[in-house]
Amino acid sequence: MNNMAQKIEATTPIDTSSYASATEAIRAEAARLLTEGSVTAVIGYRSGKRAGTAMPAIVTSPEKAAELIFSPSCVNNLALYLTKAKKDIRKTGKVAIVAKGCDIKALAGLMGESQLKREEVVILAVACAGVKGSGAATGEPLTTANIARKCRECTVHTPQGADSVAGSLSTLPELAPLEAEELARLEALTPAERWSFWKKHFSRCVRCLACRQVCPFCYCEQCMCDRNRPQAVETTPRPAGNMAWHIVRAMHLSGRCASCAECERACPMDIPLNLLNRKMAQELKELYGHEAGLKPKEKGPLAEYREDDDQSFIK
Amino acid sequence: MSKTITEQNLRLLVDALLKEGGRVVAPKLAETMTLYEPLATGQELDLTKLPRRSSKETFFPLCETILTFERDEAGVRVGDVDPASFPETVLLGARPCDAAAPSILDAVFSWDYNDEFYLERRRKTTIIGLACTTADDACFCTAVGLSPADTRGSDLFLTPLEGGGYACQAVTDKGKELMEKQAQFFSDAGSEKPLAPAEPAGEPLDLGKIKSWLDGNFENPLWTKIADLCVGCGACAFLCPACHCFDISDEGTEAKGCRRKHWDACGFGKFTNHASGHNPRDVQPQRYRNRIMHKFKYYDDKFGRTLCTGCGRCIRWCPVGIDIAAILQQVEAKVEVE
Repeated sequence: MNNMAQKIEATTPIDTSSYASATEAIRAEAARLLTEGSVTAVIGYRSGKRAGTAMPAIVTSPEKAAELIFSPSCVNNLALYLTKAKKDIRKTGKVAIVAKGCDIKALAGLMGESQLKREEVVILAVACAGVKGSGAATGEPLTTANIARKCRECTVHTPQGADSVAGSLSTLPELAPLEAEELARLEALTPAERWSFWKKHFSRCVRCLACRQVCPFCYCEQCMCDRNRPQAVETTPRPAGNMAWHIVRAMHLSGRCASCAECERACPMDIPLNLLNRKMAQELKELYGHEAGLKPKEKGPLAEYREDDDQSFIK
Repeated sequence: MSKTITEQNLRLLVDALLKEGGRVVAPKLAETMTLYEPLATGQELDLTKLPRRSSKETFFPLCETILTFERDEAGVRVGDVDPASFPETVLLGARPCDAAAPSILDAVFSWDYNDEFYLERRRKTTIIGLACTTADDACFCTAVGLSPADTRGSDLFLTPLEGGGYACQAVTDKGKELMEKQAQFFSDAGSEKPLAPAEPAGEPLDLGKIKSWLDGNFENPLWTKIADLCVGCGACAFLCPACHCFDISDEGTEAKGCRRKHWDACGFGKFTNHASGHNPRDVQPQRYRNRIMHKFKYYDDKFGRTLCTGCGRCIRWCPVGIDIAAILQQVEAKVEVE
């Protein structure tokens, strides 16, 4: 949600003409799957009531497949709806899911954690040039200024490994990696300066837990941070508990986070949470050569021990 | 009583109130967003945008200590918080959807138990409302019976004027008193025209009709349909000017700690979790149903008011795009059909 820096660049529209054909392809595929009965539901996007908005949709009949869309407002990572947190959806049987490249990384992560089997899901991938960042007006088209920060550094515009890919992209603009730049800026600060950066951001946290609730990997049925007998982390929105909560969140997700940045997007208080996720991802890449990808891995870097693991941190 | 005040004098009024030792809470730019915050000077005042969070926290803070405790060999000592220590406050620049909220909340904080933490802050606060001249596609105050120029809940009410500055109307005696006491900042009303009020997008809703459907549909597939999407966070409730549920937590150690009252949200899985482990609302449809029922039925049954001012914050910030105005429209349409 922190899109301050995005205002620097001159605004140029981004070509999203393929989204119309992607929409057609998704509708056709969804209708086909539902008609032949190979899935009981298709999880995708439909238009919201306000013009230019989109929201998740769970379509269970072929007639309703025509409501599905793909647009620059299709921001959600729908993988969330396949987790334990939303277990009722999958009770009905095999489902199909519309997924951008970034979302497929989350699906792969869930498969790696035995939360989902590949054969239980039909992946309707979308060739995606990007979606809008928070703060973009609902009526605006996608531009180099309002594109979500994560999309600026996307490496999976046209994902592999799905059951089908809707749409095809023409050339995409080169965009400055604002998030990487911001991370580098933070890393160049002194620990005290970084501490005050995060203290300031966490002071705004209201503990609405939107960051946790939208995360595909926060599927624990009992979150340690909700416990009160005894309390592990202060649940009140105060400096100590806020800091503890965000550190616990970042640590528990390291090696698991697929970098969809949903936590940051959902935060109503504009806390740049994906910087924490990114930093953890960077450390895991350096230490264990691990990176979230499109293919499921049996074990995450922190769930596996190898003799040649770096142990220099043990003192 | 009606006067005018210039932009500059409004800032000077803030400075004067601060100099007298009072607290002024008003929209202020805080990095990427506007929030209602205590001002340090009148220069910080920024009335351009609807603040991200509502102004309810002026009376009902996000988190407050309600008692302290200490225990040692000598026994347990409990320390009270004295509401008399709360400062005199002026809430300035509250939009009609925010200004109207405390007048709705007064009922719930004083119907059986008088919540002195809330009520004392209410007594000590003067609300200066501000008419809206712009709205966005999530605003729906007119659909729930308010309007961009509604003075309900305000003690003084500002309406932006075409040539700059504001018309200032005393709505209550409290407002009149403030205007008289600070007379040097106000001038007699001239011939400047007020700016046209905003036109929120929301179509009018028939709240009576909606309530009649809710009366008979505690069990309905609609709740599951919506809740399939709801992720169970508290963004809607925490940004809402009218949601007022809170939890109480004891924090600290056995030897020393605080009892804290802090915002809670009916969307949370643990919201109604009993100490026994039983949860009467153990699935999301029951929780989402409560959100709608509480706002448009239960509160009305008990206090004759709707617990929603149409600010649109829950619509703007729901991470999965759930639109309460769209749901209400859907409910109203059901009455037509059924």
